Amino acid sequence: MTYISSLQNIHKHGTFGDYENKNENELLKLKEVKNLIIYQIVKYKNSTADVSKMNLDGLRLPDPLKVKHNSSTRILWMGPDNWLVISDKKNIFDTFKNDFTDKDFAITDLSHSRTIIEVEGNLAREVIKKGSPLNINELGEGDCSNSVFHAITITLDFISDNPQVIRVLALRSFGESLHHSLTDACLEFGFKSV
Amino acid sequence: MLHINCPFCGLRAQKEFAYGGDATVKRPEINREVSKEEWDNFVYMRKSPRGKHIELWHHISGCRQWFKVQRDTATHEIFKTAKMSEEIV
Repeated sequence: MTYISSLQNIHKHGTFGDYENKNENELLKLKEVKNLIIYQIVKYKNSTADVSKMNLDGLRLPDPLKVKHNSSTRILWMGPDNWLVISDKKNIFDTFKNDFTDKDFAITDLSHSRTIIEVEGNLAREVIKKGSPLNINELGEGDCSNSVFHAITITLDFISDNPQVIRVLALRSFGESLHHSLTDACLEFGFKSV
Repeated sequence: MLHINCPFCGLRAQKEFAYGGDATVKRPEINREVSKEEWDNFVYMRKSPRGKHIELWHHISGCRQWFKVQRDTATHEIFKTAKMSEEIV
């Protein structure tokens, strides 16, 4: 199956906004993250499976509002008994399908249903603050949270604190609108679209 | 704007939530004859109290969980929140 990005016709590379007289390190960077495998795992309410002992790509399932990750896979807490697995391993499902049986878990492939935009730079938090009511100062590397950005439901994944890197995930159909909102928010700081 | 303490995610802005109505309404028992009046009361009839009230809220842009909120409908003060399996007394 060929992946066609929802931002294919709108994500233009270049430098935009108030970027003059600023060196590259001061500019925000905006990047679309593509070709990742995304699975939602939900434990059934009547399941007695002990998730604290379960293992996915060498990772335990994370605590509330936390992320567990290795170099290729990130597991985000989405809600009680609900996780999002994001990986660049094409065969990630094969690695956990025997442990997460369909008797206890509902597993859904969401790879083509999300748009992911990565904001990087010292002012990345300021960009998110413009559209989200979340108290973002309390969150940092290894945290994740669902929230809204200009009325679009989003998932925030805090990749790194230094440099600040935040991934914003939204439903694919909201991708274009989210891109416009994020680029608008970045204009006053100047940003490089890569 | 209200700030609501989701039992799963902590304090969040009202923007992330959807109101779900009166949390004290009980569905008529299953496998029992239900009169039209009883059913009508369950589906349509709601009190509109001024003061403390227990409501359902949905953290629709968060953890997607339903939970109970005890709120003053006049002052909007929120006293307690609880999971669906818990009682607010």
